[in-house]
Amino acid sequence: MMHKNNTKLILLTALIFISNISLAEKAPFESSYEPLPSTNTIFRNANIYDGEGNEFSETDLLIKDGKIIAMGTDLPGSPEFIEVDASGKWITPGIIDIHSHMGVYSAPSVSSSSDGNESTSPITADVWAEHSIWTQDPQFALALKGGVTTFHVLPGSANLIGGRGVTAKNLQRNTINSMKFPNAPHTLKMACGENPKRVYGNRKQAPSTRMGNIAGYRKAWIEAESYLSRLDEYESKSDEAKEIGYKPKRDLELETLAGVLRGEILVHNHCYRAGEMAMMIDVAKEFNYKITAFHHAVEAYKIADLLAENNICAALWADWWGFKHEAYDMVQANVAIVDQARNGTGCAIVHSDSEIGIQHLNQEASKALSAGLKAGYKISKARAMKWITSNPAKAAGIYEETGSLQVGKNADVVLWSQNPFSVYALAEKVYIDGALAFDKEKGLVPNSDFDLGILNPTKNRIQE
Amino acid sequence: MINKNILFLALLIFSANTIFAQSIVIKNATIYNGIDNSPFSGNILIEDGLIKKVSKSLIQGDQVIDADGKIVTPGFIASATEIGIVEIGALSVTRDDESNVYSIGFSIHDAFNPNSTLIPWNRSNGITSAITLPRHTSSPIGGLGSFFVLDSNLNIDSKQDMVMIGRIGGSSSSSRSEMLSLTDDILSFASSISAKDVRTNSDIDSLIDSSSIADYLELKPRDVKALFKLVNENMPLMISSNRASDILKLIELKKKYNLNLIIMGAQEATLVSRQIADSKIPLVVNPINNIPNSFDELAANKNLSSRLEDAGVLMMFNYGSHNSHLMRQGAGIAVANGMSYGGAIKALTSNVASSFNIEDRGSISPGKVADLVIWEADPLEPSSMPEKVFINGIDMDLTTRSTRLRDRYTKNFDKPNTYRN
Repeated sequence: MMHKNNTKLILLTALIFISNISLAEKAPFESSYEPLPSTNTIFRNANIYDGEGNEFSETDLLIKDGKIIAMGTDLPGSPEFIEVDASGKWITPGIIDIHSHMGVYSAPSVSSSSDGNESTSPITADVWAEHSIWTQDPQFALALKGGVTTFHVLPGSANLIGGRGVTAKNLQRNTINSMKFPNAPHTLKMACGENPKRVYGNRKQAPSTRMGNIAGYRKAWIEAESYLSRLDEYESKSDEAKEIGYKPKRDLELETLAGVLRGEILVHNHCYRAGEMAMMIDVAKEFNYKITAFHHAVEAYKIADLLAENNICAALWADWWGFKHEAYDMVQANVAIVDQARNGTGCAIVHSDSEIGIQHLNQEASKALSAGLKAGYKISKARAMKWITSNPAKAAGIYEETGSLQVGKNADVVLWSQNPFSVYALAEKVYIDGALAFDKEKGLVPNSDFDLGILNPTKNRIQE
Repeated sequence: MINKNILFLALLIFSANTIFAQSIVIKNATIYNGIDNSPFSGNILIEDGLIKKVSKSLIQGDQVIDADGKIVTPGFIASATEIGIVEIGALSVTRDDESNVYSIGFSIHDAFNPNSTLIPWNRSNGITSAITLPRHTSSPIGGLGSFFVLDSNLNIDSKQDMVMIGRIGGSSSSSRSEMLSLTDDILSFASSISAKDVRTNSDIDSLIDSSSIADYLELKPRDVKALFKLVNENMPLMISSNRASDILKLIELKKKYNLNLIIMGAQEATLVSRQIADSKIPLVVNPINNIPNSFDELAANKNLSSRLEDAGVLMMFNYGSHNSHLMRQGAGIAVANGMSYGGAIKALTSNVASSFNIEDRGSISPGKVADLVIWEADPLEPSSMPEKVFINGIDMDLTTRSTRLRDRYTKNFDKPNTYRN
């Protein structure tokens, strides 16, 4: 008995040990996203922008079990498919916003919901935007009606290093884990320029200048390099050596930065001025990390070639300007110039950074395209559609799963009433993983808990 | 009008532009005149800066511009902006929208900068004039806005101090009830002012001394004069307010004091649209903004404009300052969500003129000042731009700092950038 009991105890201990190990290896706050039940659907005779730069007319699109199955003319039907007549209408991939603060700056914008900037220290790589997200933010549903199926939420720009960003599916749930895009990499928000130096300079602490900003990043990366080498040293040991050896204590801040140095976390860098972007590229080279995208980048057009050579995307507005000195040199063709750099190898993204803009990213892309054509570039609408679909998917590290209508990808699909480059186009149906998430005609519209009975107990906040 | 005479004189003296002296005909235009809901094909004669004739039959002129069927609208009027008194939002040294001394009578008029980069930018997007407003003061009503013609002329063409502004709603510092009471008290004081009270500043000083509310608010003679003007000249009083219950309170105040009331924001106007229509209160709304930004704006809705139009409410559109022109994207969104096209054009033109007593602009009809835009395509598509913009009958150059920067970085790469254009 004793022996048996001991065996049990040993087994139990081993189990605990194993489960501890697996707990440590399993990322915390893992996605528990589950799609809605998908509806197998065949769209007939649609005009299609596929998100890869191609345009098709009178083409069928087949989605099954949440995936894109086929695109072509006269695809064979089957009783298991719902047929949607898309004649005269347009289909695009689900729109992706690479710069959103939904949930961390929720509506109404009151102090109790201001959760986007941990502006208590210039380096807060330890904070994660997802831990601020209020999942009942009524803005998610508004964005869905604008065709947005995926969005990337970042911390604000008060800090040099503001924390981790998160990519989520636009299916409102009660927990952020159940909205998180499965296996999407984390991102790191960094910020150049006026904001950090203003926030901390006003408090008479570093950084108060742009040179203080650069010193701040470099000091942080030096710490990160040191942490990473201790981590690498420990991990290179044999299992036996690990058991008796010293394991570096976890450090939330340095874990994030080390994740960047290991290429697991993607850097998204708020930066307006050309010269500062160039310096940030130097900082990245000094510490051997990659910048995935510059955000806002009002002066990206001045260094479009440099961005293309370094394979860095620029996530841009169509026309915002003048609210800050560093946003003074606005050029409406900014997006197009970035797109066309180095023989069209540039990566341009139209982002919103706005709860209003996210609802019509198609129109923002349309303005940017129009300005590009006026600047003399030959850019098709099909190519411009990449600015709000496949390019942001690449920058979020989810391009293998979504961002275009390639066979095998998630069926994130928008059916538009007319050409989405028109202001009059409305999203009629929005599918996320093949499931209908919004249907204008049938009145299928999500309402957050906030929207319920708030103006009139018997009604929802918005009466369509 | 005085300012315009000065402008004419200045142009005669300084301008080498001979076009002004000539008559211009815009032919083959699809005209949305800002009055009728539907367009018509016609021709427009411009002479001496004015629209002389609008006709379906051909008109002779010194210079003929073929619009080739394109849409011509009145120049759009931005109804609530800071154009001309702010250059860079975050730099207070470039902002002239606040006073530490004056409250109710604070005028931004003399701060207007005709050389601001916001002016060519908005003009190149079809905005030909703007109502520029100060920031809200600590008083619930107060601050005077002016109307400006966006022709970048240092001889400023304006209507000075033609609107007083105010704000009623949720606030972190005091109850809206206090704001409403204070507004009532101020208006009551304003109504009691007679012409002899404001003859001299010392008359005004003694009036202030005798009024507890004027004394409490530490009013200055300018403030009192503004209140006198508000009541006696029926100056528009534009109050920013959103919540339905606040809008009804404002309607009561309008009746009590016979105010020329305009409400801005008005996100919950759909809940009280009948009352607003019955009281004939024009609204300034931003149709692009459907966010419930505060607990005062819970009914914010992209169908706002179409519902208000159905209820017979007169609307004007606005959108910020640097990009005031985006109000036409807002107008497009309003149309996409059910508003009539002609109604949306009016909200950008004649509705502003009629609500703010800008009698000489805002429509394409004989006698009006020739502020016109020929559009390359549909003006409510944000992707389409003006081909030509006329202000005071002058064909404006549409170059902007932004297009200069664009050209510098897309052309002539043979030279370093600082030596290009």
